[in-house]
Amino acid sequence: MPLKIVVEPSDPSTIALVGRLDSTTAPELDAVLDRVLGSSGKARLAFDLSQLEYISSAGVRCIVRARKAIEPRGGKVAVLNPQPPVRKVLDIVKAIPHGSIFKDVAELDDYLDAMQKKVRDGE
Amino acid sequence: MRDATTATLRRWPRAAVFRSIRGRLLFSILLVAIPIYAGALYMSYQATQSRLEDRAERDADELAARLAAGMDAVIRPIEGGIRTVAAQLEEIDPPRSQYPARIRGILAAWPDVYGSTIAVETGGSGASTQPVAPYLFRRADAIAYSDLALDSYAYRELPWYRRAADSRQPVWSLPYFDAGGGETWMVTYSVPFFRKVPDDGRVLAGVVTADLDLRWLRKTAGSVPLGPAGMGWLASPQAAQTLVTPIGATADRINNFDTALDTEAIRHAGEQMLARKVTLTLLPPDVSAQPAYLAVRNLQTLDWRLMLLLPQAELLADAHALLRRQLWLGAAGLAVLIAAISLVAAAISRPVHALADAVGTASEDNLAFRLPDWQRRDELGVLTDALRRMRDSLQKHIRLRAESLAAEARLEYELQIAASIQQSMLPKNQSAAVPAAVQVAAALLPAKQVGGDLYDYFDSGEHLLFAIADVSDKGIPAALCMARLSALLKMLAVTDPSPDRLLRELNVRFEQDNDACMFVTLGCGLLNVRTGKVLYASAGHEPPLLRARDGTVRQMDVENGPAIGIESVALYPLVETYLAPGDTLVVFTDGVTEAAAQDGSQFGTDRLAALLSDSGDGAPDALVRRIVAAIAANGFRASDDLTVLAISLSPSTVTAHQTELGTNWHMELEISPAGVAQAQLWLRAILAARDVTPDQISEVELIAEELLTNVVRALQTRGGAGGLSLDCAVTPAELVLTVRDDGPQFDPLAHKSPELDSPIDDRDVGGLGIVIVRRLADRCRYARVDGRNVMEIRLHRTRN
Repeated sequence: MPLKIVVEPSDPSTIALVGRLDSTTAPELDAVLDRVLGSSGKARLAFDLSQLEYISSAGVRCIVRARKAIEPRGGKVAVLNPQPPVRKVLDIVKAIPHGSIFKDVAELDDYLDAMQKKVRDGE
Repeated sequence: MRDATTATLRRWPRAAVFRSIRGRLLFSILLVAIPIYAGALYMSYQATQSRLEDRAERDADELAARLAAGMDAVIRPIEGGIRTVAAQLEEIDPPRSQYPARIRGILAAWPDVYGSTIAVETGGSGASTQPVAPYLFRRADAIAYSDLALDSYAYRELPWYRRAADSRQPVWSLPYFDAGGGETWMVTYSVPFFRKVPDDGRVLAGVVTADLDLRWLRKTAGSVPLGPAGMGWLASPQAAQTLVTPIGATADRINNFDTALDTEAIRHAGEQMLARKVTLTLLPPDVSAQPAYLAVRNLQTLDWRLMLLLPQAELLADAHALLRRQLWLGAAGLAVLIAAISLVAAAISRPVHALADAVGTASEDNLAFRLPDWQRRDELGVLTDALRRMRDSLQKHIRLRAESLAAEARLEYELQIAASIQQSMLPKNQSAAVPAAVQVAAALLPAKQVGGDLYDYFDSGEHLLFAIADVSDKGIPAALCMARLSALLKMLAVTDPSPDRLLRELNVRFEQDNDACMFVTLGCGLLNVRTGKVLYASAGHEPPLLRARDGTVRQMDVENGPAIGIESVALYPLVETYLAPGDTLVVFTDGVTEAAAQDGSQFGTDRLAALLSDSGDGAPDALVRRIVAAIAANGFRASDDLTVLAISLSPSTVTAHQTELGTNWHMELEISPAGVAQAQLWLRAILAARDVTPDQISEVELIAEELLTNVVRALQTRGGAGGLSLDCAVTPAELVLTVRDDGPQFDPLAHKSPELDSPIDDRDVGGLGIVIVRRLADRCRYARVDGRNVMEIRLHRTRN
């Protein structure tokens, strides 16, 4: 089962993953991430996992690498709507903090707005 | 009559003569004719004999009368002559001196007279008182004279005178022996003569006599013809001595007579007959030992008896000869009758025989028998004509039948060719036609030469497409329909082999030209050889049976669409299932399950399932053979076409075997990500086929990926050589994965787990796989066995 990586043209910081993210397909995601992350630093990167059926440690490594690339600079990597098997794996390896798991993009954006407001208010 | 004959014939069935009409005709006619003939002959014999006897008797009687008359005729003239002389004497009354002349006249006139005298009456009113009696007689050749009046010859007292004088009638004397005179026996005829007296009276004047020598009588009698038979005598009336003179040839015949004759007794019998006035009688046996008739007559002249003795045998000789002739004629007639009947019978039976001969040779093989070509109008002609018509008609029918048989044979031949064409339309069981990891076996047994069942399978990339179909009929129409379906199936499968869409499209196309309103049940499946996934859709067909490696058999859960050809548009739900390596999928037509035994029971799905379950392994060809054999062996006869197709997945690098607890699959893996991916596919197939929950399947896949990926990476650093295997055991309670590799010792569990809670900057990317494995598995164990790393993972099976 291959992996389909969908980058919304309207929202380039959301990558939808369809299918399986395993040791075979993870290199594809790596290539895309290299492209996406190679450009100017991203503020946020969201992985839409609503159509991801399967993730293995290779896939987790992709996400972790993405976090390593973005979060130290203050960005955020979010995971959207993971399916229960995928969620379970993410939880096992604590790939992503619970706070970074959202239902959908709207929720993420709301959160980010709220955070920014908080930051602005806190200053 | 016929019954009697038939009854008789039944008692003698073996007699050859009675087998033919001729013989029986002859027998029955003769059975009647001979008694009638013999009876008639007998009665005729009797009648003829009595009549001939009567005639013979009459003849004898008449002969006697004739003989008597004959004798009289000889004697009477003498009487007449003497009486004439007496009358002359009476008339003329010549002087006595003329007497000698007159006497001489007598002697001269009748040479048979020996002597004669005229003796004068002296007493009474006699003319003369002096006796005068001149007597002349023959002596030697002369006439001698003797005077009877001389001496004291009182001639008037002598009988010859006295009798005539007293009776005043001519009278013959009894025979006497003339001692002084002729020295021989004599009889004398004495005739009185008279003289008239004035008062118109007549007084005796004298007696004229004539002496007859009896030798003459004897001679006369002897010359009388007696006739061809018999003996006769003349006998003088009773006296002191009776003279008997034989008549005719009697003297000779007496010698020839069989028995001694007592002539005296005969004469006595004759006298008695005369006394009773009987002229003919059959002598009693004491008189004549040989039966003989005696005819008696009295001479009118001499008062002598004429006796005729006629032996009955001689008398009846004629009659007997006549009868014998009759008998011979009768026999000849009978022979002619037999011959005639025989000829007639032959004439009747010969044509019958000819007909029987001609037709008798007729048999199943020989119907061209020759019939006689006569032109008869009798019953035989009718029979012959009928037989001729029958024979011709039979020959015609046989010819027509032969033609029809030839046509049938041709049709049979064409059907055989059609059957072989149909056989060749089925996929050949060549290993090149199917993917390597798949084993296929099939059997198709049409109920007639050609049938309406179909199975097909073909390699479609890394898929095997298989189909089984059953047309709603059998024979030629079904076969034609099936050929069309097969072509459509192959054509459509090329463009879109997904079973649900394939059936939908097939239905549309098939229904378009389905004028014969045949419908087809069809099951179609697509087996992915790599993943073991089976997509299946069914148009009214019996669901397939799935046999697990351990022998459990279940029916695939199929939702059927309508049979092909009924609805113009129909949808067919797609069913998905997995075939683990070592499992077998069996599709079949209802010819299998509905094969009927002699007691009416059907083979049935349960029996089929049990048979699959009992088979040692799930190898398709063994299963198919067993199914076909079971149907034939138990006396089940397929009334419908019978088809079965068995498919098993058996990749070369996967072996499945049974343990006490369950099934274990052993997979030899390629040391590469592709090998890992294939292992995952097999695991999915195995677990899905065993109803493991989808979530648990994913977990197992994940565990396998993590473990195997690590091993592969480790081995690949050594150049990719070595062996890597994965065992998956499925029991009702748990799943056990065992990874074995022959790389250098490495215990993944011994290594320190990464810090998951570190900040992202410090997070270590590696080692996450084991974390996952440890968390997902219920038990992990590592061992180093025989130079191999053995990693065992156990999971409790979750239920939905």
